[in-house]
Amino acid sequence: MLDHTPSDMPTTNRPANAGSSLNDSASRLDGPAKVTGAAKYGRDMHLPGALYIAFVRCPYGAATLDSFDEDAARAVPGVVEVEVRGKEGKFHGQTLGRIVAESPMAGKRALRALRCRWTRKAVRTSIADSVDALPEPSDRASSALDGAELKLEAVYTTPVQPHSCLETHGGAVEWKGDKAMVYASTQGTNAAREGLDKHLNLPQSSVEVVCEYVGGGFGSKLGGPSKELQAAAAAAGKYKRSAYGFSNRSEEQIDTGMRPSSQTLARVAFTKDGTITGGEIHTWGGVGVARGGGGCNVRAGRYKLGIKKAGHEDVGHNGGGPMPARAPSFPQGAFAEELLVDEIAFACGMDPLALKRKLVGQDVYREMFDLGAKMIGWEKRKATGSQTGTVRIGYGIGTASWHSASPGGEAAVVVHQDGSVEALTGTQDPGTGTRTTMGIAAASSLGVPLDLVAVRIGRSGLPRGPASGGSSVTPMIAPTMMDAAEHAKEQILEIVATAAGAPDARAFDIVDGVITRDGKRHMAWADACRRLPAEGITARNRGRAANGKGGNEGVQFVKLSVDAETGVVHPLHVVAIQSCGRVIFRKGAESQVIGAVIQGLSNALFERQVFDRNVGTVLNDNLEAYKILGPYDMPHIEPVLWTHGQTGVRGIGEPPLVATSGAVACAVFNAVGAPVRDLPMTPDRVLGALAGKGGRS
Amino acid sequence: MNRFAFAQPRTFQEAATMLADKRFSLPVLKGGGIDLVDHLKEGLTEPDVVINVRRLRPGWATAGSPQITESGGLIRIEAGTTLADIAASEIIRAKAPVLAQAVEYAASPQVRNVATAAGNLLQRPRCWYYRHRQTECLKKGGMKCFAVDGENKYHAIFGDGPCFIVHPSNLAPALTICDGVAHVIGGKREQIPLAELYHLPARDVRSENTLEPGEVVTHLTCSPAPVSGFYAVKEKQSFDWPLVAASVWMRLDGARISEARVCAGAVAPVPWLLPRVDGALRGVSVDDDAGLRRACAVAVEGARPLADNKYKLALLPVAIRRAVLIAAGKPQATEVDA
Repeated sequence: MLDHTPSDMPTTNRPANAGSSLNDSASRLDGPAKVTGAAKYGRDMHLPGALYIAFVRCPYGAATLDSFDEDAARAVPGVVEVEVRGKEGKFHGQTLGRIVAESPMAGKRALRALRCRWTRKAVRTSIADSVDALPEPSDRASSALDGAELKLEAVYTTPVQPHSCLETHGGAVEWKGDKAMVYASTQGTNAAREGLDKHLNLPQSSVEVVCEYVGGGFGSKLGGPSKELQAAAAAAGKYKRSAYGFSNRSEEQIDTGMRPSSQTLARVAFTKDGTITGGEIHTWGGVGVARGGGGCNVRAGRYKLGIKKAGHEDVGHNGGGPMPARAPSFPQGAFAEELLVDEIAFACGMDPLALKRKLVGQDVYREMFDLGAKMIGWEKRKATGSQTGTVRIGYGIGTASWHSASPGGEAAVVVHQDGSVEALTGTQDPGTGTRTTMGIAAASSLGVPLDLVAVRIGRSGLPRGPASGGSSVTPMIAPTMMDAAEHAKEQILEIVATAAGAPDARAFDIVDGVITRDGKRHMAWADACRRLPAEGITARNRGRAANGKGGNEGVQFVKLSVDAETGVVHPLHVVAIQSCGRVIFRKGAESQVIGAVIQGLSNALFERQVFDRNVGTVLNDNLEAYKILGPYDMPHIEPVLWTHGQTGVRGIGEPPLVATSGAVACAVFNAVGAPVRDLPMTPDRVLGALAGKGGRS
Repeated sequence: MNRFAFAQPRTFQEAATMLADKRFSLPVLKGGGIDLVDHLKEGLTEPDVVINVRRLRPGWATAGSPQITESGGLIRIEAGTTLADIAASEIIRAKAPVLAQAVEYAASPQVRNVATAAGNLLQRPRCWYYRHRQTECLKKGGMKCFAVDGENKYHAIFGDGPCFIVHPSNLAPALTICDGVAHVIGGKREQIPLAELYHLPARDVRSENTLEPGEVVTHLTCSPAPVSGFYAVKEKQSFDWPLVAASVWMRLDGARISEARVCAGAVAPVPWLLPRVDGALRGVSVDDDAGLRRACAVAVEGARPLADNKYKLALLPVAIRRAVLIAAGKPQATEVDA
């Protein structure tokens, strides 16, 4: 075995972001519960006497259900209901009916007893199947290309990539007669409740959603209640029993949304000094059976290419439809854009760093380039295509932009007589660290240690919080939580000041759990809280939340090795610089960046939904054949939280994913001297690029 | 998963008797259970009894007696020895390093701690058509191999079909070049050389091995192979099956290869012996890079790749050459050119 571990690489992931946040040392509040299994996810909620949902699904890319034996399925012991609603399947995994049964096994047996007979139809399984020929260049682009000093035409593709959530989609409904508890796996606790009252035939006020822990969503658990949860709610309402509806692994991979595939056609005219003089870019998104949602944002990297985007077209194929996928449309476009710029630099004999410095619009990118180049050791980079050894080292750069949300939502802080504190907001933590972020926001604004704060999130009855989408939770609700905590603090200090006979509460403060007066210790937190009313105090946000200046830019540098004999790509080092405003929870922020880099590397090197080209069945609908980066492929990742001069809170769930796959593509190009324009960059494709030096595999 | 009885025999003989018991319609043996549980979950097999042979030992063994022994010039590995134990065994590492190397990076640490030697040899293929509950392929009694004109990136380049699986075991090719023998009870035979344990699909597309119903592997033996090595090219370095793998046994006269035996994995429905490479390597110095390349290039003669697995033609000679260098204790030609 090759030992891929470079000896000069530090083995710890200890970035130098100290002092950048409201809390540098806190670890996830729910970490112990998660690692010990004490944390119960919706999928863990097997309730006594619950009914189970099983879906009748199309097994092929396109097929007609000719016959089925409903009576036989009903006759299976434990089967409560069999319903087949549709006959035409247009993708593998499409639901055409459902079984309600007393147990998961009874549901499975009923599916088999149905003995569905299908007639397969022709399928389209890729964008290429639907786009026969590339469009002719426009007149304007043609004239630019005709007279060009240098020109490049290239097609870049990315595959369908399912979100592959560890906790599958769905929910469990606990029937309590006059009310129902819904244990949903969702990125929107409030949205997950919508419409369930009708299924359950209960007043809206009697349906409570609980979402304490979510095993990943990445965008696929946004929107209203999932199909699986709706089916469970319908069964619960109809039979007045608890019910459970969750996808199995195969269903999770094929019918819960995915990152759509993409194709980018770039035709660029440029001069020898890297000045782009014209051209055009076309993009396509592969949206399965959906009508849209297949964006491919080639401006994601924020280069000023000066080329018109000639058009974007969403094209269908026999696959499931998209759902927002961590920075929807951005990584696909950024991959094409970054590699395109590097190909232009190569054609001009330029260092891509120099060209990228020239093309970026904002100075902050140039500052990040300088830092990243130093950290990765860019000066050791060899010219693209110049290496001849077996193992070749490549360096690549990716850039990212994002947008921010404004403060919003509702939060409350409760301070009890014993000094304990509750921080309340009805958002949820899909693994992003929101629970801890909320605790730190409340604790730091109140002036008390984090361990006094119990965070209550993930319930529909709480003050209304945002859905986990658009990297908006932290910029929306953290300032709001701080507003509520400051409100609580003012109330407490009023009480303290009054008790002390002081005319002005502004002389008092709470610092590290101690009440101060004019900067000097006045009394202990516990003593102050004993003066609170018996029910404690509850402070809500007052709409005074503001968010200051902050950025959403990102730059990543990737260093990797390519084994030129095997085509195996091995990431060695990633420097991920992420502009993120005022950091609240340092380890959480770093974890978001590291996690995004890991996902981006995985997208770049391994992940691809494989459809059989003839029958349209997804062949890798499991986590063995659907390959995801593992420990041996993990590089040293250094997250840099870029906070220079920034006071506002930003969300960084999505932006750090944008730059990675493009940076990997540039690094592979640098190492082998031929671009791999199709993701994932698997050994067969790398070898194909090496053999063809520029050709597509 | 269907309902089944779980049987715990006390001896291999009892296990063999259970296998032959006509009251059971589909008895299956369980070693570590890795592959079996995959099959049960996917509904690919529906046994009425699962017979657990994982902890069975020969009659003379006492609790705590070693799983891997050496006597009379042979290495003996009990059927239930885990891959982790093989990888860690001092005997194996010194006397037949190819075996340790073959299993060292197989699957994941968790799997290696449970998966057994016999189970690894007898695991079913990973072909995604075979593994997909909805595909009625040849191996499952259907009418066609869907890989031929479908998604065949991971499929065979040797063997000529009609089914294009690759044998998934890393241990099998390694054991084959060490003159490995599977010892069985419950049938007419007592010993099956590894080279005869597997058969091509043309003989019987439904199975991969020549075990008769009722035969149970009790242990494995092989000859020492102190100059031996294994190399696999994997897409993913953690928990992935090889794209191609090579096991090499050699006799060295100084730096010169006086005798070699090469068996490739992941390129054919059975561990694929490459006698022409054996011949081509003879007389070549392990320091002669060009000579090694020429000899290893012979490996792909006669290969018939499908549409999407031609890249394996490039990988196979590389894997063999690297296995040769590992066997010879030579540093890999993978120095960083940076």
